[in-house]
Amino acid sequence: MTARDGSAAPAGTGPRPAGAAAPLIEVRGLRYLYPGAAGEALAGLDLTIGAGEFVAVVGANGSGKSTLARLLGGLENPGAADLAVVCGHDLLDAEGRMAARRDVGVLFQNPENQLVAECVEDDVAFGLENLRWTPEDMRARVDEMLARFGLAELRRREPHLLSGGQKQRTALAGVLAVPRRALVLDEPTAMLDPAGRAEVLQAACELRDEGLAIVYVTQEMDEVMAADRAVALDAGTVVYEGDVPGLFRDAALVRRLGLGLPAAGEVALELGSRGRAFAVLPLTADELLAALGEAT
Amino acid sequence: MSGEAPATRGAADAAGTARGMALECRAVGFSYEEAQAPIPALRDVSFALAGGRSLALLGASGSGKSTLLQIVRGLDAPEAGAVLLDGVGAAQAAGAGAGAAGGAGGTGEAGYAALQKQVGLVFQTPELQLFASSAREDVAFGPSRLGWPDDEVAAAVEEALELVGLPPERFGDRHPYALSGGEQRRLALAGVLAMRPRLLLLDEPFVSLDPATRRELARILSRLRADGVTLVLATHDVDLAWSLCDELLMLDAGRVAAAGPWDLGAAGRELLAASRLREPFLVELWRRLGRDPREAPRTYAEAAEALA
Repeated sequence: MTARDGSAAPAGTGPRPAGAAAPLIEVRGLRYLYPGAAGEALAGLDLTIGAGEFVAVVGANGSGKSTLARLLGGLENPGAADLAVVCGHDLLDAEGRMAARRDVGVLFQNPENQLVAECVEDDVAFGLENLRWTPEDMRARVDEMLARFGLAELRRREPHLLSGGQKQRTALAGVLAVPRRALVLDEPTAMLDPAGRAEVLQAACELRDEGLAIVYVTQEMDEVMAADRAVALDAGTVVYEGDVPGLFRDAALVRRLGLGLPAAGEVALELGSRGRAFAVLPLTADELLAALGEAT
Repeated sequence: MSGEAPATRGAADAAGTARGMALECRAVGFSYEEAQAPIPALRDVSFALAGGRSLALLGASGSGKSTLLQIVRGLDAPEAGAVLLDGVGAAQAAGAGAGAAGGAGGTGEAGYAALQKQVGLVFQTPELQLFASSAREDVAFGPSRLGWPDDEVAAAVEEALELVGLPPERFGDRHPYALSGGEQRRLALAGVLAMRPRLLLLDEPFVSLDPATRRELARILSRLRADGVTLVLATHDVDLAWSLCDELLMLDAGRVAAAGPWDLGAAGRELLAASRLREPFLVELWRRLGRDPREAPRTYAEAAEALA
């Protein structure tokens, strides 16, 4: 295990080695209570995520997913925790949270709330300006990000004139312009068309392959299939942690949590209720077609 | 089901008119102003939707879906062309077609304004617009502004809360911010339904709802559809669009790329891909099973029924 030190990485750090085993996110007994709320939003949550690992976080509206996302990004002060360390920074400590914000990128579902500048390229540069990058380094990095997210032609466009997908790509480019070690995405594709969804999901997979820890909060069951691991929340605690098919094949848990299945799984489940049982519940179109082929 | 009582009350049909409003757009054009040059958002958009039909409004982000809904709702006036509600257009709208339609009954302006009040628009993330201190008060805002008598407003509020699955005896006095995200979305929908729209426009109503709440919302929309309300559903979710909508209107950079019944052949598939969409899962499944995609089922249950 090679624990990284907590100092900020130098500007322009290249891709990190993939597959490192050290946990980048480690929380135990994490709690959070919104002022005036009846119950805790997070009620003793445990979660460990390593570098180069893509974890999907699912759960009903109000189960604590977005609160977890904000805490992991260092944006809120945890109510209490036995342990809350992200990228080597202690979230229970104000300085630790500030340092975590530098290492952990957070992307929310509504890009409207994240765009601050008067044009796309200024928005992408915003974080770098705050970190006092030199103009040359900043320009190169911004160009790199605009190209990566297909925004080069829109660089002078005012953010309010962008489409939803373009706004979200701008926000993601801005988040990632600052070199990160972990990325927390809170329903990042909610506003996007299917192709935009695929792009963001692809970007998340690439960043995982570059060694970032990815926390991907989603309501899209098809997207969960891309994750290495699924974590399901209910009333602020983890009620499932394990491989993705294992979650979807626990039909009782899926229903109890207000989740669903990927479309193929929904069809298979309906078939099951009509007496057509599958030894292993198909979850993709290919699996369903194979299972139907065998059965006929 | 909680929604049975209001349906038997029949209040929505009190006006005696057909429940679903017919919608037509004739060569609608619109642009957004920007410093350098206007950005065209809609160009020559024409389509017709009969009363009681449901329309999936599809297209990539930025293709003009939200703009079109705002124009149909009358929040923006088209720069060119006209919107016709039950065949009546705004008298001041540009274009000969609109003039003829508006003048048909001699009451175009007044008639159009009255018809506009029967169009409901549910915005993207409508819960951001909740503002009152109780669910009941929030839902009452719209019908109150229509000048309805107090008892009718109260009845409409109770009915709408029931319809969206927020029984008023349990939820009526709750503070909107004390509701879950899914409940807030349904409350915002109730605020529009309380005005008993004959044409309901929904802008990405399923965004960021959990799957169980999506299923519940889809059931509510199915019910409105069965009641004869005309629906226009702007969405990126082709599977939900397929399950809920009779027809589609696909926009590409503000122009109509397709309008009418779903084209389930290769051309339709290419068109969807060109608009950054994909074909509905059940259509894909039917095609890959070697069955006729034009006979693809609309729901998972129907699919299982056919395959079992």
